[in-house]
Amino acid sequence: MGKENQRTGKFLFMFAVTITIVLSVIIFQAFSVNTKEMLAKVNNTPVFDFDHNAKQFFETYNETTAAYMNGNSTDRTLEYYYSLRQYPGSPPYIPHDLADKKGYEYQCLSCHERGGFVEAMNRFTPVTPHPQYVSCRQCHMKKVTETLFKENGHVSVQTPKLGRSALPGSPPPIVHSLQMRENCIACHVGPGTVVPIRVEHPMRGNCRQCHVPEETKTLFTRNPM
Amino acid sequence: MTFTRRDFIKNMALKSAAVAAATMFPGISFSGWNPADLSADSIVWSKTPCRFCGTGCGLLVGVSGEKAVAVKGDPNSSVNKGLCCVKGYHSIQILYGKDRFVTAYVRKDGNLVPTPIQEALDLVAARMKSSIEKNGKNSVAIYGSGQWSIPDGYTASKFFKGCIGTNNVEANARLCMASAVTGCLTTFGLDEPMGCYEDIDNADVFVTWGNNMAEMHPVLFSRMLANKKSKTHVQIIDLTTRFTRSSQAADKSILFNPQSDLAIANAICYEIIKNNEVNQEFISSHVSFHKGKTNIGYGTEDHFAFSDTAESVDFEAYKTFLKDYTPEAAEKISGVPAADIKYLASLYGDPDKKVTSFWTMGMNQHTRGTWINNLVYNIHLLTGKICEPGNSPFSLTGQPSACGTVREVGTMTHKLPHGVVTEEADRKMAAKIWDVPESNIDPKPTYHTVEMFRALDRGEITFMWIQVTNPMVTMPNLRRYRDGAKKEGRFIVVSEIYPTPTSDVADVILPSALWVEREGFFGNSERRTQHNAQLVPKPGEAMCNTWQLIQVARRMGFEKQFPWTQETYIEDIWNEYIRFHDSPKHRMAPYKLLKERSGVQWPFVDGKETRWRYNGKYDPACGSNTFDFYGKPDHRAWIWLRPYEPAAESPDKEYPFWLNTGRVLEHWHTGSMTRRIPILHKAVPESYVEIHPEDAKLLGVVNESKVNIISKRGSVVMKACINGRGNPPRGMVFVPFFDENYLINEVTLDAFCPISKQPDYKKCAVRLEKA
Repeated sequence: MGKENQRTGKFLFMFAVTITIVLSVIIFQAFSVNTKEMLAKVNNTPVFDFDHNAKQFFETYNETTAAYMNGNSTDRTLEYYYSLRQYPGSPPYIPHDLADKKGYEYQCLSCHERGGFVEAMNRFTPVTPHPQYVSCRQCHMKKVTETLFKENGHVSVQTPKLGRSALPGSPPPIVHSLQMRENCIACHVGPGTVVPIRVEHPMRGNCRQCHVPEETKTLFTRNPM
Repeated sequence: MTFTRRDFIKNMALKSAAVAAATMFPGISFSGWNPADLSADSIVWSKTPCRFCGTGCGLLVGVSGEKAVAVKGDPNSSVNKGLCCVKGYHSIQILYGKDRFVTAYVRKDGNLVPTPIQEALDLVAARMKSSIEKNGKNSVAIYGSGQWSIPDGYTASKFFKGCIGTNNVEANARLCMASAVTGCLTTFGLDEPMGCYEDIDNADVFVTWGNNMAEMHPVLFSRMLANKKSKTHVQIIDLTTRFTRSSQAADKSILFNPQSDLAIANAICYEIIKNNEVNQEFISSHVSFHKGKTNIGYGTEDHFAFSDTAESVDFEAYKTFLKDYTPEAAEKISGVPAADIKYLASLYGDPDKKVTSFWTMGMNQHTRGTWINNLVYNIHLLTGKICEPGNSPFSLTGQPSACGTVREVGTMTHKLPHGVVTEEADRKMAAKIWDVPESNIDPKPTYHTVEMFRALDRGEITFMWIQVTNPMVTMPNLRRYRDGAKKEGRFIVVSEIYPTPTSDVADVILPSALWVEREGFFGNSERRTQHNAQLVPKPGEAMCNTWQLIQVARRMGFEKQFPWTQETYIEDIWNEYIRFHDSPKHRMAPYKLLKERSGVQWPFVDGKETRWRYNGKYDPACGSNTFDFYGKPDHRAWIWLRPYEPAAESPDKEYPFWLNTGRVLEHWHTGSMTRRIPILHKAVPESYVEIHPEDAKLLGVVNESKVNIISKRGSVVMKACINGRGNPPRGMVFVPFFDENYLINEVTLDAFCPISKQPDYKKCAVRLEKA
């Protein structure tokens, strides 16, 4: 192999590396949109986050068994999770029948309040973070057709980027609004959870000791007196 | 090390792979830090105590090259067993704020001008000398901190008390721990809790007195929750003046009127006696009864002076005293239903239940702070639930070394590293160890913190050196003290790491080395001393606070007292300091051991830590196998007859709301460090005022409306927070004090506990206006 070939190879390699980096950075930037701000606009929630119903979380923590907390048998993916929603934070569709084979209507909360294995569905149930609202079908609908009345131009926001730890191994911030989603255990712990958002340390009792919300994107600046 | 082409390519490939991975697998924690740090073998992990609160978590800080890059909980630390809170996990980012002071500044023609540090130190020494020549030795003062590393406080005390001969040595722990100190001293004769964090694993009932542990001591709170979850019968009772995150986790939350904890504690004792649940054996052998002065004032006037007396009384007199505090009478004062008080008494009184009481600022920042500390000890003494695993009255600290540096080294006006300046024997001991003439140490205490800033305002103090604290945010009735500090003829030296409202009023700013940029020691709430080595280099001309003090002391002619070299001075200071505590009541661990272990508790006797003091089973300082409260001359713990007295200022027609101030989980104290950590600032970017929804409605404000909070002293306009993470009852508002843009302490009152001289930041009267 000639020296020139070696030099060309080196050049091409460097070029490829540079392109990879630049592209990655661009893609990376695109992913780093502040979902919280966007969500705030979409949901019309105030910047001050909902933060007054921690009791629900602490109660769930006390009532949930260690076996359940450490349960991890599920095949739910994030893609499937978002496919049921119009945008991050919107109420998901009901992806299953509303009645059993004999025609008895399911009571949503009998499964979705506590979770666990449901024979009829042959899988573990996801748990609602807000079981205090009992009129489920006020927000959650069954999809009966895929056809539309008229096309709609709605474009969803980017789904929240996960794992945005500030330091290697440091606890990532909360990427979603807390309104109606204050019960961390419901969605992040147990066998019914979506795999990528399940925590590895479910037995710790005070999630928000380490995971904090993100109320702004800007950094601290001083206004000296 | 040679960096070959091959290394370079490998490195580049690693980096691009990491960046690509970060975008391809959004579920995995790759993004947000320099991918070069990803190669795990380049990270060296070393132990250090956390820089923030008094819990004293053990951290492992990961260093790559010369930079701290990551944090883990130290699994060897019995404090936190590998877990941290969000502040701890991101704590290393406090080292790298863009506006870090890396050079000294000297005020010239009104502007702070960068100056070589040696020149700045010359100026500090010269101004100190001229102030002493002109106005006497008591015209110079040092105001330090519970964030001082132990060698900082020790050097300051030796320099000011031993060499210059002034007792003008105070620390911000006066604003946060003084009532806990006087509480311990009046009841037990010796400072600091008798128990340890193992109490959390052993208690059946936790009573938190005005203490939002879920946010203020989150790691200990999690330990409490873990105990509760593992045993099912464990209960948390939250006694509070405001509904908090801790209230939400508690089994029962009891809301009481501000200041009425005094009546509740007495009523609990009344019930315990009435129900024959007194531990007769314990009180007849280990307890004596005492009465102090009443109607003791509030200290809002300059030159306020008070000293308590102890009159010995008997159990019968105590019973008679308690007749005023039936649960029904206490209900009238506190607003707590008599049934709830009886329930609390039944928990404390049940001989089969181990009870741990926790408190921090709710009881300490209180114009009767010493009293309420005494009264909670009374409950534990009456029932004999003290000094054994799970039975523990436990005062928690707010700063990483409030215990280690302020309480143990004694950086307060009346204190010496061992004992007090008023005792000849203690002065003799200090003079001998410090190698100064005994006559150098002034037997008269001078100013406590509030009075020290008043003296600065009055002009009696003309030189003040402030280290590791931010009084221009934290002093109550702040405007007076800021205006005082800015007066002509005052010379203010500030040792700091970042610009703060305090450095804004400085004449000289000395850049400090911070935490793991220097070697040092902290002492936490459970008598645990923790060593940290220097792990990363100091930025620019930053200098360790201890070394700054030594440099100035030498310039003033005290070379003999400060002979140490820069290589070993921390070790040398430790070895000198522990001579003060060389008895089984307080012996400290040797330097070598502290370097090896993740903290060692004192008294450290015969190679063993003392887990529970005053109990012969665990404490070798006790004469026998039983309880021995050896801090008091009668070897008994003192039950005090302390009545209810109202707050210094209560709401009235013109100012109808209580103002309560405090902290949030994400920010630590004045936020000068935590606000520079991106994730923490993003979580809580600014302060706010919590208002009850009904009060907000009457006022016509919704979330984020601007509200003007007005007291007799000042006002501040800030955003309303309704149904936030905390919810005050009707007639109270709550403001976190971390935000220098909303100086809530311009509104607060500088009333203090006459015994501890600690101000009450939890109670003053304000009115609200829609702004």
